Amino acid sequence: MAATARRIPMRFIGKRLLHAVVTIFGIAIINFFLLQLAPGDAADALAGESGTADPEYLANLRREFGLDRPLLEQLASFLMRIARLDLGYSFRYNEDIAHLIFHRLPATLLLMVTSVVLALGIGILFGVTAARYFNRLPDRLISLVALLLYATPPFWIGLMMILVFSVQLGWTPTGGMRDIAASSKGFAGVLDVARHLALPALTQAFFYLAIYTRLLRAGMLEVLNLEYIRVARAKGISERRISYVHALRNAVLPLVTVVGTNVGGFLGGAVLTETVFSWPGIGRLMFDAMFQRDLNLLLSILVLSSIFVVLANLVVDLLYAVINPTVELR
Amino acid sequence: MAAPLLEIDDLRVGIRSNAAAEILRGVSLTIERGETLAVVGESGCGKSLTSLSVMGLLPDGLEKRGGTIRFEGAILPITDNEAMRRIRGRRIGMVFQEPMAALNPVFTIGDQVAEVILEHEAVSRADAMARVVDLLARVGLPDPAQIAREHPHRLSGGQRQRVVIAMALACRPDLLIADEPTTALDVTVQAQIMRLLQELQRDLGIAILLITHNLGLVAQVADRVAVMYAGRKVEEAATAGLFAAPQHPYTRGLLAATPRPGRRRAGEPPLTEIPGVVPSVTELLSGCRFRPRCAFAGDVCASVDPAFGGRVACHFPQTVELVPGVVT
Repeated sequence: MAATARRIPMRFIGKRLLHAVVTIFGIAIINFFLLQLAPGDAADALAGESGTADPEYLANLRREFGLDRPLLEQLASFLMRIARLDLGYSFRYNEDIAHLIFHRLPATLLLMVTSVVLALGIGILFGVTAARYFNRLPDRLISLVALLLYATPPFWIGLMMILVFSVQLGWTPTGGMRDIAASSKGFAGVLDVARHLALPALTQAFFYLAIYTRLLRAGMLEVLNLEYIRVARAKGISERRISYVHALRNAVLPLVTVVGTNVGGFLGGAVLTETVFSWPGIGRLMFDAMFQRDLNLLLSILVLSSIFVVLANLVVDLLYAVINPTVELR
Repeated sequence: MAAPLLEIDDLRVGIRSNAAAEILRGVSLTIERGETLAVVGESGCGKSLTSLSVMGLLPDGLEKRGGTIRFEGAILPITDNEAMRRIRGRRIGMVFQEPMAALNPVFTIGDQVAEVILEHEAVSRADAMARVVDLLARVGLPDPAQIAREHPHRLSGGQRQRVVIAMALACRPDLLIADEPTTALDVTVQAQIMRLLQELQRDLGIAILLITHNLGLVAQVADRVAVMYAGRKVEEAATAGLFAAPQHPYTRGLLAATPRPGRRRAGEPPLTEIPGVVPSVTELLSGCRFRPRCAFAGDVCASVDPAFGGRVACHFPQTVELVPGVVT
């Protein structure tokens, strides 16, 4: 059945974007102070690596990085930079941060889209099947698998998969995104990336899959007992259509919220996966930045992450209105 | 003589997990083309379950134990969904009790009504939609083209029941099962919906199986009445005959418990109730299941469950006529 076409609620979006800007600045300020609480700074980290702790050298570095100025002044200049969408410079990588992030972003987005789409596709199939065969063998099997995936830490699943598929079977590389020796162009290039992507995407997807399956199964069980499902059966509609059209469209609502949260919080979850599989994405960049006390870079990634969350929430609200006609956006 | 439109013969339905528990204990009903049969009885007597059996929509946990259901002489599978699907919605339509919950909140009215037509007939979407608008107009909805585009939450209970009726009639079925179609509605709306059903029946020649506990409704619209008690049909007669001379003590009790304007003035006694409650399906009870509540029960009632003898299933059918206005 076709969803009714509706006007895009521009007023609603405008209002929400305004809120978003305020929220993002709020998060940025909190992050700034939180990171100040951590001991050490970039100068310490650099000095530690180069093996000198000469006070003059340190002072020099701090002056160069602007770390010697008063805290509020540093905050003000940080906020000004965000307002101008200028993320600044990473002294660790000797690179423009914007350039650094946008260079890494596609890898993370690829991982995110692949794992969420995988998890959604399989999760919907599993959840609907489990509900249709409630308390029978398919349901028991699916529920057991979902419980196992839910209870197992993703990084452990990742390590085990490396052990089995990379080390024992040799089907996939153990990490990275591209083979240096492989061609990076055309179909061969796509295949190469896909081979590298398989394990990290599955690792990330498994965890979501467990949540989506359980959530959808519960939702479907509730909806399948409602009166309008009986009415649909009385109309002579097939069980498959009743499940995937009549019930799913209603049961999927809570799932949309959770998927939105997962997408928004993806950077946090990606840290582990990207580190285990040395996937060259934002998550690993964040991890490295943290250990190197590269506060500029870290703050920029955190701001990016908050933008992710806020945008994902906005998209969820808009989707809600599309899926559920009783929701009216104002 | 042609076979009756619907013929239920000795239908038995029980609880799967309990071999002793039988909810329908041999129900037999017959409906001819174009007539209205009302099935009345208290909650839990099995009248809704009878209609769900006809649709092949027995709830989980219940099973058919015996009997046959014939539609135009052909045996219906009762539980086999794929074969029943071509009959449900196309040959037999059903209207349920709760119009507020009967429509899917996420699809438009037009889509939901058109779905029945598209499921059973090879027509284009545009043609189906045109028929939907006609149907919505036919069930008395104002501005049907607009309503077809609306979602259910914009409609009132009465309007939604009209939509459900349109849905049930979309493929011009021969039989409409109406399970308490007006119970959830305001009194004024009830009358409108019943009038609509009668009009549609007259115009389209459909037969109606009306499940209700509202005896006032039965008196107005039914050709024949079957009274059910604890999973059995205990009495069946033409409407006028049943109201004038009910023979089963249970039927008499039901009528004596029905309020009617002018009843006091006519010198009738105040409303009486039937003492006791319906026995549970798991209760072991020999003989007639109405016996514990019956004022006329004799020794034989405790040992022999009375068979249905054309009119009534009772060892001591009452024959004194109820002249309108006087109760014996």
